[in-house]
Amino acid sequence: MLKIQNLSKTYPNGTQALKNVSFDVKDGEFLVVIGLSGSGKSTLLRCINRLIEPTEGKIFWDDVDITAAPPAELRRIRRKIGMVFQQFNLVKRSSVMTNVLSGRLGYVNPWTSLLGIWAQEDKQRALQALDRVGIADKAYSRADALSGGQQQRVGIARALMQDPKLILADEPVASLDPVLSHSILQYLEGLNKEGITVICSLHFLDLVHRYATRVVALKDGVKVFEGSAKEIDRAKFKEIYGEEAQEVRAASL
Amino acid sequence: MSNETATRRPVVRSGVASAVVPGLGQFLLGERYRGVGILLGFLVILATVIWYGKPLWYASPILIWLWNVWDAISLAGGRARSILLPLFFGLAAAYGIGWQVVEIDFSKANMDRALAILRPMTRPDFIQPRREVNQMWVPVQVPCSSQPPAARREDAGRVATVIPDCGGVGETLIVNVTGMWANAETSIFWQNPIGNPLMLGEGEISMLTLTTDESGSLTTTIRVPSTALVAAPDPTLPQFHRVYFEQYRPAGGYELSFIGGEVLKGALATISMALMATGLAMLFAVPLSFLAARNLMSGNPVTYAVYVIVRTLLNILRSIESLIIAIIFVVIVGLGPFAGMLALALHSVAALGKLYSEVIEGIDPGPIEAVRATGANWLQVVRYAVIPQIIPPFTAFTIYRWDINVRSATVIGLVGGGGIGYLLIELIRVNNMRGVSAVFIAIAFIVIVLDYVSAKLRERLV
Repeated sequence: MLKIQNLSKTYPNGTQALKNVSFDVKDGEFLVVIGLSGSGKSTLLRCINRLIEPTEGKIFWDDVDITAAPPAELRRIRRKIGMVFQQFNLVKRSSVMTNVLSGRLGYVNPWTSLLGIWAQEDKQRALQALDRVGIADKAYSRADALSGGQQQRVGIARALMQDPKLILADEPVASLDPVLSHSILQYLEGLNKEGITVICSLHFLDLVHRYATRVVALKDGVKVFEGSAKEIDRAKFKEIYGEEAQEVRAASL
Repeated sequence: MSNETATRRPVVRSGVASAVVPGLGQFLLGERYRGVGILLGFLVILATVIWYGKPLWYASPILIWLWNVWDAISLAGGRARSILLPLFFGLAAAYGIGWQVVEIDFSKANMDRALAILRPMTRPDFIQPRREVNQMWVPVQVPCSSQPPAARREDAGRVATVIPDCGGVGETLIVNVTGMWANAETSIFWQNPIGNPLMLGEGEISMLTLTTDESGSLTTTIRVPSTALVAAPDPTLPQFHRVYFEQYRPAGGYELSFIGGEVLKGALATISMALMATGLAMLFAVPLSFLAARNLMSGNPVTYAVYVIVRTLLNILRSIESLIIAIIFVVIVGLGPFAGMLALALHSVAALGKLYSEVIEGIDPGPIEAVRATGANWLQVVRYAVIPQIIPPFTAFTIYRWDINVRSATVIGLVGGGGIGYLLIELIRVNNMRGVSAVFIAIAFIVIVLDYVSAKLRERLV
């Protein structure tokens, strides 16, 4: 159970990205966060694993206060939270294998990892993770030699290496075409069915309807909606997204 | 009628304004950049022709001035004139004056002198036919002691004698040698006790050269050289000098000539110089580059100040040609490759520091946040997200710098920085054009090979 309480974030330049946002995420949910670009979705997801430090508010995960965790504990918390990014965030010049193995960094001996030495067991696990997302044959290619869809699958394999209980997916399909979008989200859905909680930000209404078990909507950093995906109809969507909703929906077809 | 005067008035006003101050009419019509540009261009051309003082070129600013008035009038009517015309007038003056200032005069070319230099250059002194030497010597005492030993020596079937057995400076001696190669040109020279050769030919400035008979013998008279005792600590003390006989003949094949060996040594010194300089520069440039990276240093005012200072220093250092720095280092540490190496290193620190810092500024923050998100510690983030991003471009830039440094090292040699450049300037001074041509070929070879190797290596890295 993840509890977000009165979360606010103000950036040094004065931008208020989140304003007093509170909601709970039960274990095993596929929670989709929607909202316009700049509505605070990315900030919200990054506050959960404190890639961005929240200004105010608290986040409890199984009654542990993430926001108050000292650095060493924070790293232990982070290793249980996988993260998938819009731009994949792979090290382009490194091999796929190295990128996937880096997901294991929170578990392994820091000193041997600095030398680039990995246990056979971890390599085996990495190959299994790659096999699971269907690109085991690409293990020793350079990451930038892969297509966008393949790179995102490497991103998922990296998250899998963390043996996560929670996956944060920040617009995982915004850089991909609709067909690939479904294939990526199906991997996340599969993981969700195995009991991993997923918090995912999305843009397209039909994807929201197809995958979300629950939806939170943000507008200008304020939570404007929380409920089931079915409650989001076109009118509601338009309310959240403003006049651009028509275009967004059209693009998703 | 009133309408017409309304349009006429700005036309006249603009024309007059631009006639008084070029560009003013355009400026008043709201075309500010055009107006200022015309004024500045006009002033620069005017100042140039006044400074140069040849009346012909006054045509240029006058034509520009006329065009400017025409343009102002047209502009008031709503139509700008093409700036190609004044540009042409300006460039015509600039190139015309340039031609005269540079003193271009093709009739100065002296083909005879050029050929005198170029002809030996067609035969680079790099290798020479291998040859055998047949050398023989005989000791002779100078000046005479009371009982001089016999001036006779036998070696491998050859016998050399001097009569009498000793002599003073300027005295005549009869030398004889047998058992040498038959009918072969033989050089005869004197060697003093410390090993310096002295010539025995006419006026002691040329080599005495004779030919052996069909039995391999020759006999001649020599004079004990006037300088034979110049190096002696006590000229009255009898010492053993030597008379040498030397014959050469081709032995088939080729070998590296003396100059060729020097060229190879110089090339090695130059490449090593560049290698050491690049390595040394890298050691300093890596830490400096982090201080000169805006994205890392713009966090707070203190680090930002460090960034500005380091950047400024690097920029200043980079703007000083390594050749100039070399002249200073030659004064500090003396002639030789060490001075050249230090100069190259200092210049390379600045150049590499800037290139490295731009790499750091350009790294993708995405992987850093992704690796942080896995629970990695700071060192692991650097190892897995930062280093993989910067190592290949760092290496590529370093190889590129080494490539540049090899070229600079050849030039730095010219001011005393050692290596092949130093050899080159020495050879030019003694007018050894065959040697110069060997150096040219070596430099071209090094540069071409290095260019290729460095390009291939960098291609694989980036």
